[in-house]
Amino acid sequence: MFLNKTMFLRPKNKLEDDASPQTDRIITCPSCRKKMPVKEISDALKVCDNCGYHFEMHARERIEKLFDADSFEEIMADLTSKNILSFPDYDKKLSESMTRSNENESVIVGTARVNGRKCAVFSMEYYFMMGSMGAVTGEKITSLFEHATEHDLPVVGFCLSGGARIQEGVISLMQMAKVSGAVEKHDRKGLFYLSVLLNPTTGGVTASFATQGDIILAEPNALIGFAGPRVIEQTMRRSLPKGFQRAEFLKDKGFVDKIVDRRDLRDTISSLLSIHSKEE
Amino acid sequence: MFSKILIANRGEIAVRIIRACKEMGITTVAVFSEADRESLHVSFADESLCIGAASVSDSYLNSSAIITAAHLTDCEAIHPGYGLLSENPHFAELCEENNLTFIGPPPEIIKLMGDKQTARDTVKNLGIPIVPGSNVLTDYKDAKAEAKKAGYPILLKACSGGGGKGIRRVNSEEELKDAFTIASEEAKKSFGDASLYLEKYIVDARHIEIQLMCDNYDTVINLGERDCSIQRRNQKILEESPSPMLSDAVREKMYRAAVTIAEKIGYRSLGTVEFVVDRDDNFYFIEMNTRLQVEHPITEMTTGVDLVKWQIRIAAGIALDFTNDDVTFLGHAIECRINAEDPDNNFLPTSGKVNILHIPGGPMVRFDTALYQEYSIPPFYDSLLGKLIVHAKSRSDAIRKMRAALCELIVEGVVTNRDTHLEILSNPSFVDGKYNTTFLSNML
Repeated sequence: MFLNKTMFLRPKNKLEDDASPQTDRIITCPSCRKKMPVKEISDALKVCDNCGYHFEMHARERIEKLFDADSFEEIMADLTSKNILSFPDYDKKLSESMTRSNENESVIVGTARVNGRKCAVFSMEYYFMMGSMGAVTGEKITSLFEHATEHDLPVVGFCLSGGARIQEGVISLMQMAKVSGAVEKHDRKGLFYLSVLLNPTTGGVTASFATQGDIILAEPNALIGFAGPRVIEQTMRRSLPKGFQRAEFLKDKGFVDKIVDRRDLRDTISSLLSIHSKEE
Repeated sequence: MFSKILIANRGEIAVRIIRACKEMGITTVAVFSEADRESLHVSFADESLCIGAASVSDSYLNSSAIITAAHLTDCEAIHPGYGLLSENPHFAELCEENNLTFIGPPPEIIKLMGDKQTARDTVKNLGIPIVPGSNVLTDYKDAKAEAKKAGYPILLKACSGGGGKGIRRVNSEEELKDAFTIASEEAKKSFGDASLYLEKYIVDARHIEIQLMCDNYDTVINLGERDCSIQRRNQKILEESPSPMLSDAVREKMYRAAVTIAEKIGYRSLGTVEFVVDRDDNFYFIEMNTRLQVEHPITEMTTGVDLVKWQIRIAAGIALDFTNDDVTFLGHAIECRINAEDPDNNFLPTSGKVNILHIPGGPMVRFDTALYQEYSIPPFYDSLLGKLIVHAKSRSDAIRKMRAALCELIVEGVVTNRDTHLEILSNPSFVDGKYNTTFLSNML
């Protein structure tokens, strides 16, 4: 007999950094492999100063860094999901996601100001089940649009999602229609909706409110699509073009209006809001 | 220093002792039973003699055969290891009578601490708390009065019982009468002695022991504690040092109590004072083990002191060349006892041939074992196959290291309790260091 790989178990040890976050730790840019202190990245909007790679960002951090300081007023912060279908391990997953993201749901909503101009804003959370859309996600975004419609506010939405939340089945799917209805009402009142697509924006979110913006921006190299590339390849029985489902590819096809570097995003949002403002 | 020692034991501890001797330039003699001819300690020692048939009473407990073997090979001393003859005062006396040094304390001390009642009385007189309890109970009326004094729940114990047997828990006075009758009948049937005594049952108890080392010149060194609360049916399974739950104040008090006992009874050699600690951090003396312990390596890891080498030196009359002030406790150590037993089959002992052996490695990882590839584990002895010990800076690092090391351990051909250890190490209560002696039975 010989030793083989199956004889060695893999120890259940969490990745060290997860267990003990340190501010002075070093991060490697996954794109250009440059090593830099995490602090440096955090201060610079989490963009690699060497190659421009955009690191993941918390939903709240994004609002704090792109909008006027302390201007964010959150609403419906306490809403949390329930395991309505008694889906196995969903409760555990929810509580783990809450710990990991420090948020109650995969989206935070409220109002904020950019250069003094008020708008409604939603921001989806990478670290909460990859921004997956459940009933509470849909409810919060719908309510935000209704709030914006009522108070004549434009909406800025940061979309990031793995798609509809499988643990909530058809209930998560119907959020697509529900949010779309609220977007439509907001639109009929002649109000402006700016959607910003982040890495990744996929599934039911792409198929609904993410692509219903009056203007659609995207961060560089963001993965944007409905089904994953491998599923499409197998269904179509042909290989996909280079750069398929990347932000730049979608801009060429007219799906996205502009690719905006995160470092320019605040100015872009500000000028778009002022151009499309109903005030003055 | 002794030039030649006989090791009156087998398995991993015999190998451990021979290793110490090799470092010290001492010639070693192994003794073995007919079933152990192929055991590692036999080939590992410089010389070896067969002392009897497979059964321990014919071989490893056969004092006269062992003494004879020591004479035939011109040994100067006998190391008894743990278990077997290690706490037998008659064997220690027999060694003395035959001009052989018994590597351990003198027979009087083994006797003093070996008798539970005298040990308890001795310690009580020193002002150290013992588990509240009674002397031999004369009748039910006496039991009722004593139980009231100790406070319920209590344990009724057979005076002649041992090894976790002959113990009955009584939760209230209503239960006492029936329990008393049944327990004395059981004791009579099992041990031929109906006499009982009682002890307060400590709820949420932790089992913590203090390692001491004393030379023949009244130097007593305290080498810290070991938490042995992870037990299955009163058998220790996993030990760690330091204890994750002990406050510094309580720890300090326990150290002082242990040192006082050793000083007052004039202890010699290695010894361990065992305490039970309740949920309010009150500690009570249980017993003193007058020998080397299975779990001694974790103390070696945290203190850097080789216990076996010093045990031999002390027996040879050498004075300790350091004091307690020189002892620094470093980091955290854990030991997992790897047993040949089947967790999926109520931990029934297993045996068989080791087809493939992979021993965990890397820094601060130690595996004390007598296993080797192609070795057939005889079914006659203790199920302990080896002890995996790790040492790291912090407790959480030690847990990580132990998980990784256990995953590396492969004993193909024999079922072991490795997966039980992995389960313990992933249990949230264990990881938080919040556990007591009921932990393992609750987990399983």
